[in-house]
Amino acid sequence: MAYAYLFKYIIIGDTGVGKSCLLLQFTDKRFQPVHDLTIGVEFGARMITIEGKQIKLQIWDTAGQESFRSITRSYYRGAAGALLVYDITRRDTFNHLTTWLEDARQHSNSNMVIMLIGNKSDLESRREVKKEEGEAFAQEHGLIFMETSAKTASNVEEAFINTAKEIYQKIQEGVFDINNEANGIKIGPQHAATNATLAGNQGGQQAGGGCC
Amino acid sequence: MNFLRGVMGAPSAGPQPSGAETIQKLCDRVASSTLLEDRRDAVRALKSLSKKYRLEVGIQAMDHLLRVLQTDRSDSEIIGYALDTLYNIISNDLEEEEQDENSQKQTEDLGSQFTEIFIKQQENVTLLLTYLEEFDFHVRWPGVKLLTVLLKQQGPQVQQIILVSPMGVSRLMDLLADSREVIRNDGVLLLQQLTKSNAAIQKIVAFENAFERLLDIITDEGNSDGGIVVEDCLLLLQNLLKNNNSNQNFFKEGSYIQRMKPWFEVGDDNAGWSAQKVTNLHLMLQLVRVLVSPTNPPGATSSCQKAMFLCGLLQQLCTILMATGVPADILTETINTVSEVIRGCQMNQDYFASVNAPSNPPRPAIVVLLMSMVNERQPFVLRCAVLYCFQCFLYKNQKGQGEIVSTLLPSTIDATGNSVSAGQLLCGGLFSTDSLSNWCAAVALAHALQENAPLKEQLLRVQLATSLGNPPVSLLQQCTNILSQGDKIDRRGSKVQTRVGLLILLCTWLSNCPIAVTHFLHNSANVPFLTGQIAENLGVEEHVVQGLCALLLGISIYYNDNSLEDYRKEKLKQLIEKRIGKENFTEKLGFISKHELYSRAAQKPQPSFSNPDYVMFDHEFTKLVKELEGIITKAIYKTTEEDKKEEEVKKTLEQHDNIVTHYKSVIRVQDQELEELKKQVESLKVQNEQLQTTTTQQVSQIQQHKDQYNLLKVQLGKDNHHHSSCNDVVQMNGVQPEEVSRLREEAEELKHRLELLEEQLREKDSLIETLKCSPLAMETADRSSQTHRGLEVDSELHREVETLRTQIQLQTTDIARLQMEKQDLLQQMSAAPVPVSGDGGTMTAGLEGRLSALLQETKELKNEIASLTEERTSLKQQLDSSNSTVAILRTDKSTLQQEVAESKKEQDDLLVLLADQDQKIVALKNKLKELGEPVEDEDDIESGDQGEEDEEDGKEEAED
Repeated sequence: MAYAYLFKYIIIGDTGVGKSCLLLQFTDKRFQPVHDLTIGVEFGARMITIEGKQIKLQIWDTAGQESFRSITRSYYRGAAGALLVYDITRRDTFNHLTTWLEDARQHSNSNMVIMLIGNKSDLESRREVKKEEGEAFAQEHGLIFMETSAKTASNVEEAFINTAKEIYQKIQEGVFDINNEANGIKIGPQHAATNATLAGNQGGQQAGGGCC
Repeated sequence: MNFLRGVMGAPSAGPQPSGAETIQKLCDRVASSTLLEDRRDAVRALKSLSKKYRLEVGIQAMDHLLRVLQTDRSDSEIIGYALDTLYNIISNDLEEEEQDENSQKQTEDLGSQFTEIFIKQQENVTLLLTYLEEFDFHVRWPGVKLLTVLLKQQGPQVQQIILVSPMGVSRLMDLLADSREVIRNDGVLLLQQLTKSNAAIQKIVAFENAFERLLDIITDEGNSDGGIVVEDCLLLLQNLLKNNNSNQNFFKEGSYIQRMKPWFEVGDDNAGWSAQKVTNLHLMLQLVRVLVSPTNPPGATSSCQKAMFLCGLLQQLCTILMATGVPADILTETINTVSEVIRGCQMNQDYFASVNAPSNPPRPAIVVLLMSMVNERQPFVLRCAVLYCFQCFLYKNQKGQGEIVSTLLPSTIDATGNSVSAGQLLCGGLFSTDSLSNWCAAVALAHALQENAPLKEQLLRVQLATSLGNPPVSLLQQCTNILSQGDKIDRRGSKVQTRVGLLILLCTWLSNCPIAVTHFLHNSANVPFLTGQIAENLGVEEHVVQGLCALLLGISIYYNDNSLEDYRKEKLKQLIEKRIGKENFTEKLGFISKHELYSRAAQKPQPSFSNPDYVMFDHEFTKLVKELEGIITKAIYKTTEEDKKEEEVKKTLEQHDNIVTHYKSVIRVQDQELEELKKQVESLKVQNEQLQTTTTQQVSQIQQHKDQYNLLKVQLGKDNHHHSSCNDVVQMNGVQPEEVSRLREEAEELKHRLELLEEQLREKDSLIETLKCSPLAMETADRSSQTHRGLEVDSELHREVETLRTQIQLQTTDIARLQMEKQDLLQQMSAAPVPVSGDGGTMTAGLEGRLSALLQETKELKNEIASLTEERTSLKQQLDSSNSTVAILRTDKSTLQQEVAESKKEQDDLLVLLADQDQKIVALKNKLKELGEPVEDEDDIESGDQGEEDEEDGKEEAED
């Protein structure tokens, strides 16, 4: 299918916070209640629309277990967006966010958009992490924040789409070098014709910036 | 030392220092020399010795070389030598050709031992990885080669080290982007080793855009026409995709399947089929198969199959299938590929059924393929591939099965016999003298019946014409005939094969189809034949046939509906007990699944026989055996009493079932009723609520009316004493009088405006008048300025007209609003008295009077408005007329201007003429002077000319 842009995402976070479930809910619109441990990395994809443009999301769902951490690190560099997930019913998963974030910042390209997600919002009775805490953490580290439930599908679409919107915004602003595929962004065949002029404009802007 | 000699070959004779000594010296130099040049020379020397004295250099120099790598980073030359030397001592490739079999094993050990030493320190590998980032050719290239050979020697360990080193794999991916082809190509080889059986690395490599890059390289190199580089890329792609569902999904989602299509756009010319091209194409086909392999998860395979149809890949493959001049092995692999692309995918199967061979007349591809299958001159692998293709075409394809079987049925057989049908070919194969054809045709036909009970019954109708004069025989009959008399016919190939094929067909046919069982048992020769086969004590080669006979007999018992008195279940069981023995029977039955070829066939759907003698079992049939073996054994061991009991139990169960279903239906009906009643209650509730609200509303209305009535009563009382009727209205409809007065005021205002407008119009009229006059007056004076002023006036006029128009518009809107308001008022007036009218009888008269007065007033107002609108329209008309006059004036003016311009031109012409004449006159004067003539009267002539000109001007002006 023709698309204007292709974004690569990764989903990271402690084991059992619901990363694979978020992906499954987003790509297949279903929920898998049994925890099936992810081995290494699994792939999923879906098409979305932003401002009338078709955007293909390629998503790599990583294993949360510590033993897979070195494998997971290999995926940071090439991703344009990351969903950093914790479980609102498990305080420790929230406490580990700093480590995850450090890891991500260290290995990714600096423009990577990170969305903080507090998953399992349907389990209100077992909540250990307040929504405000998540918001505060996100604010402090410059992340977008959302609480989701992969089970009820609440906010799942939004989480993926808002991340894409942010990336799209950055492209419009010329922050991303869209011609470097290592950033996790690719221009689709649908957009290729207009790309040439767009790249030219960017070049011009950059040159202008140099003058000033 | 003996070991050493063995490796080194004959020790070098003569007084010169031995290799080991030289190497030791060189190592010392590398270790102790402070000058870079010295060290470099020493490493270079080591490199040159490293092939011949591999062991010595390896043992003595390894540490020194590693230290060089750590310390001499800045000098690319020495690093290059060091890497080369390490490569030489670790690689086994170099000397292999020279070595004999015996010592090759030793060198292999050597390579892996040195590798172990090298990777013992993980930092060495990490260091090597950093050198791969170096752009310098002399460093990068040997680095790539060294890492490749390390991976070859100790794959899993090196893979783990690379995996845990940060961005290790990602950095290796950059090799594919190197502009130097040597490095890029060796990079492909490195990645091949790196990705071998390590799913995690395969995924990272795919994540780093490997598919894109490799497909680009393949395209750049000319697809299948490309050289060995294409082959290497294809092998790497295979590594990445085989058994890696995540990567397969990514490949499909990345729309890379579409990019495979051009690979198969091979021209129809027989010219270019080089060995490399055949290899490349072979790998390409295999890559397609990797994506649609029957062992993949069903969902993944089917989505890839769909994509392959939608992008035209399947169609492209079918063209190769029908093309001429394609090498046999490519053709075979293409058939296998098409098979798996269509397997179990209705859309693709339908397409395949519609493919025609480009023959005259066009024949369906299926028919052409089947012709090859039953043709004993075709290569064995090709025939197997066709069988596979046919099986895949029929897999989960009831439509296709129906079409194949229908070509055998009496009603649809083509009487003219012009075209060969699939059914005819299968029958021909079934009864040919080639045992492999028999087997293939039988299995193919069995696939047409797989899990399709209606077709099993249909096939019973098939009649075959035998030799002339004999009555036709049913297909089932013919099969059993051949089975029992088969030994008498002279055949090519194994006789067992024919019988096995027929038994597979019969077992498939009879299973789950009691009518077919009845047909089979109806022939009284069949059961004795089967019992005879099973009971006999035959050689090992007959075991399979015995087993299959037992299976067939078992099926005849299990799926027996007891419709034939002589062959009821219990009778057949008794027969087994008497003639064969239960133990013996189950043992024979077990022969099938114990056969080694059985387990091989059970592994995967594609028939893979290394030679025709191994053709024995079919994959789908093995499934059937698995399913039936236990069931039949159980059925045999059951006594008749148990059977009866079971029967009874079944009956009671059925009864129970009936009761349960009865109650279920009752419950369902009740449920429905309940649902309906609930709905009714719901609607009634709603109605009730509605009614209640309306009643409350009505109550409140009544209350209001009562209040009003009371109020009116009181007011009426007051009115009688004090007020005039008019004031009464004022109090009753408090709003009205105010509005009336406002209306009046507005009307006044409108009138005023109208007057203003009229005045303006008048002014404008006068302006127009003056304008009309002014052109005449001004013409003689200053034409250009006049036009200018005219234009100004014009624009002024325009503006005024514009303002007038807007004012009129405003007025009309005002009028409209007024009308609206009036309407409202009228309504209010008409509405207000209604509630009261019912109550106060005496009061109404007075009210009505007041009302009529009000009505009159409004009427008057209406009239006023009407007159205003009339005035407005007349104003508009006036405006229009003035506009038109303006337009006329304008055109007049333009004509005037034109005329002025014309006259100016004339004047200019005249002036020119005058000047000419002047010159002439001067010339004449001069001539005259020369001639001595007096020249007095010239001035008179000139003045006369002048006068004439003036007169002419005057005329022109008059004309204007």
